[in-house]
Amino acid sequence: VTRPGFVLQVDERTPPLLVHEGERMRLETFPLGTRVIYPPESLPGLPDVDGAIRHALLNPLGSDPLPELLFRGMRLTIAFDDISLPLPQMQTPDVRQRIVEAVLTMAAEAGVDDVQLVAANALHRRMTPAELRRCLGERVFRSFYPDALTNHDAEDRDNLLHLGTTDHGEDVEINRRAAESDLLIYVNINIVAMDGGHKSVPIGLASYKSLRHHHNVHTMLHSKSYMDPPKSALHGSAARMGEVVKEHVKIFHIETTLNNDAFPSQYRFMMKREWEWSTRDQATMLAVKRGLDIAPAKVRSRLFRSMEAPYGVTSVQAGATDPVHALTLENVHRQQLVEVDGQSDVLVVGVPYVGPYNVNSTLNPILAMCLGMGYFFNMYRNKPLVRPGGAMILYHPVPWEFSQLHHPSYVDFFEEVLSESTDPATIEAKFEQQYATDPWYVHLYRTSYAYHGVHPFYMWYWGAHAMEHLGDVIWVGADRRTVGRMGFRAASTLQDALEMAGGTVGRSPSITYLHSPPFAIADVR
Amino acid sequence: VSLRQDLRTVSRGWRWGRTPLVPASAQAHRPALEAREFPTTWARSPAAVAVRTAVQRVGLAPLVRSQVAVRTTGTEVLRDLRGPVVFVANHSSHLDAPLILTTLPERWRRQVAVAAASDYFFDTWARGIGSTMAFSTFPMERRGGGASGTTLATDLLLEGWSVLVFPEGTRSSDGWAGEFRRGAALLAMAGRVPVVPIAIRGSFPAMPRGRGWPVPGRPPVRVRYGQPIRPAADEDAAGFTARIAVEVGRLGDEDATDWYASMRRSVEGTGPLTAAPEGARWRRVWAATEPPAVTRGAARRSPWAGWSDSAQR
Repeated sequence: VTRPGFVLQVDERTPPLLVHEGERMRLETFPLGTRVIYPPESLPGLPDVDGAIRHALLNPLGSDPLPELLFRGMRLTIAFDDISLPLPQMQTPDVRQRIVEAVLTMAAEAGVDDVQLVAANALHRRMTPAELRRCLGERVFRSFYPDALTNHDAEDRDNLLHLGTTDHGEDVEINRRAAESDLLIYVNINIVAMDGGHKSVPIGLASYKSLRHHHNVHTMLHSKSYMDPPKSALHGSAARMGEVVKEHVKIFHIETTLNNDAFPSQYRFMMKREWEWSTRDQATMLAVKRGLDIAPAKVRSRLFRSMEAPYGVTSVQAGATDPVHALTLENVHRQQLVEVDGQSDVLVVGVPYVGPYNVNSTLNPILAMCLGMGYFFNMYRNKPLVRPGGAMILYHPVPWEFSQLHHPSYVDFFEEVLSESTDPATIEAKFEQQYATDPWYVHLYRTSYAYHGVHPFYMWYWGAHAMEHLGDVIWVGADRRTVGRMGFRAASTLQDALEMAGGTVGRSPSITYLHSPPFAIADVR
Repeated sequence: VSLRQDLRTVSRGWRWGRTPLVPASAQAHRPALEAREFPTTWARSPAAVAVRTAVQRVGLAPLVRSQVAVRTTGTEVLRDLRGPVVFVANHSSHLDAPLILTTLPERWRRQVAVAAASDYFFDTWARGIGSTMAFSTFPMERRGGGASGTTLATDLLLEGWSVLVFPEGTRSSDGWAGEFRRGAALLAMAGRVPVVPIAIRGSFPAMPRGRGWPVPGRPPVRVRYGQPIRPAADEDAAGFTARIAVEVGRLGDEDATDWYASMRRSVEGTGPLTAAPEGARWRRVWAATEPPAVTRGAARRSPWAGWSDSAQR
């Protein structure tokens, strides 16, 4: 039986609690009375994933069964979520591979010749051939790469199609091949409530011209939170664009949800509640922690990058976007939702080693901010875990490190933009256009494996809601220069951080620690 | 942070060598207890028995005698008894099991297994192995329902091992016997073996709950073995349990007074172990901690005392 999530009150009996900090971890003794939010235990995965996929394709919601939509001579495009999902990467076979193989089997039976597969990477970096092969499997890769298995290119003017504008005047421009297909199948993995639904096609296959309508400071400040689609302006905009897309192309949406098995079984302790750690868990934790503390940075990175999550698939649903996504969200909440009673003065999170934008790469300072103050801060429904004007304490070393390959524009954003201002609106007005249209960044995005020039801005906007809401942000164990550049403060210990936050939240603040990963969404009452 | 600091954090945080604790707010969210089998067969092998016998003879027995003044009565009832039995005793101290094990005649001691609470004595491997080795314990659920413990106990009886059960399920908090659970009676009925009642007096004042070592001054302790009792043909477990409880209480009373008085009082239901004083808890504790050294009625002594060396040590 899977136990639901719950809120722990730290008392004298509570052992030190595990906190992630990048490629390390620490055991932290929290002040008595601290609330700790534990996600529900991992739900059992479907015993027969292939059977569930087949069942979903043959019994879709709000759509005819897939085989009836496939016919000889049609143009079929299959788009799929890119490398940013899931985190960490899942053990092969990836669920996208299983779905794409099932779809292609049906397409082959129907005699479809014109099939194109496209990674819905929007302004993310392209996936490498090896990553594509890992994601979709050897059979699919060998059959379609390189001609019919590609990354979406948001700067390829010839392969973009402007479909019109929404009633709010938002441009809808997506991948031309997808827009002109007889059927567009989208294969999704929903790891958090933000993903999926209309965010898939109108955002994943869009261009900068279209993305700028919702990837901006104003929208992010009105997405409270963007992990709660009904209250997210981002999702409202995406839904409007989805309506426009729907008029032009028939979409068959396939969504999946995963359980909380985010770490391989030998690192099981990371998913267990600390007081239930067995002797073996304690020994593993000690060994892993010691190993990470003394290992050279390269070895540490390699260890974490080699980590593959044994995720179980908890649901597969297919059909029309809206009914499918409603069911998907239900399944995400079943795995992640925890009821929390009220806000607190301080929110504490440990920022782990990987976010959506640094798979097989470095978590640079901007991405660390985005993961902590974007993703974790927004893991709420109703109201934030921390009161307005409260403090947020994050754990991460935040080294001054960037991947020149993956994040070239981030380097300049950090050096040039942040040294001038850290205010999202100011940055947006003054610098965004320049970075978004810089030919060198466009060139790197299209031909190398670089994130688009405008991407660091989006990451900064992702944290805008938190920056506006919070009175103080303190990073424990961080490089002072780096967090100083971002307008935050650094402390060496939690006690110091709490003391520093004293000016904002008083001497004995109420504290909430979001014990994540695996993910938990706090339903704050 | 050095390895030493890490080790210290973990060993303190997770209370190495002690019972792990669960935060109060997490109590309601504890996992369903999975039937964790703790193997104890090895502890009944000839080698383990030999080691244990030696440990008990040269280690445990002198240690117990050095800390408390033990007086044993009634072991003669075991002299002519054959085959396994279920020993049943009242329970108010961690001293109880060692007291019985060190006062049992050698022939019985070698083949007795002690039913121990699985949640206390088998919560960690170290504790489980230690108690199994020293006292030949096996895990049993306090509240029943642990079918494996009962099955194991029945199997032990069939293999010729006697079983020692404290049917109260836990140590008394005030020195007075609590309600007897039916496990011991069921066990005896299932194994078709007699129950030998044992009354222990003085172990509560000598080492009550919360103490890890007997109080100084070598306090007096009495262990009294009673006549084996068997279930009547038409008796159910509840009735048999009640009879065992009365007999254990009467034995304690006999120790404090004399045989005939205890018989009379037992019929009236006013025995000392079972009839705790009414009122505040302190009065029960006060009465229970009265030292067992009392004058005994010389006129009516136990009929069994006459033909045995009832007053050992």
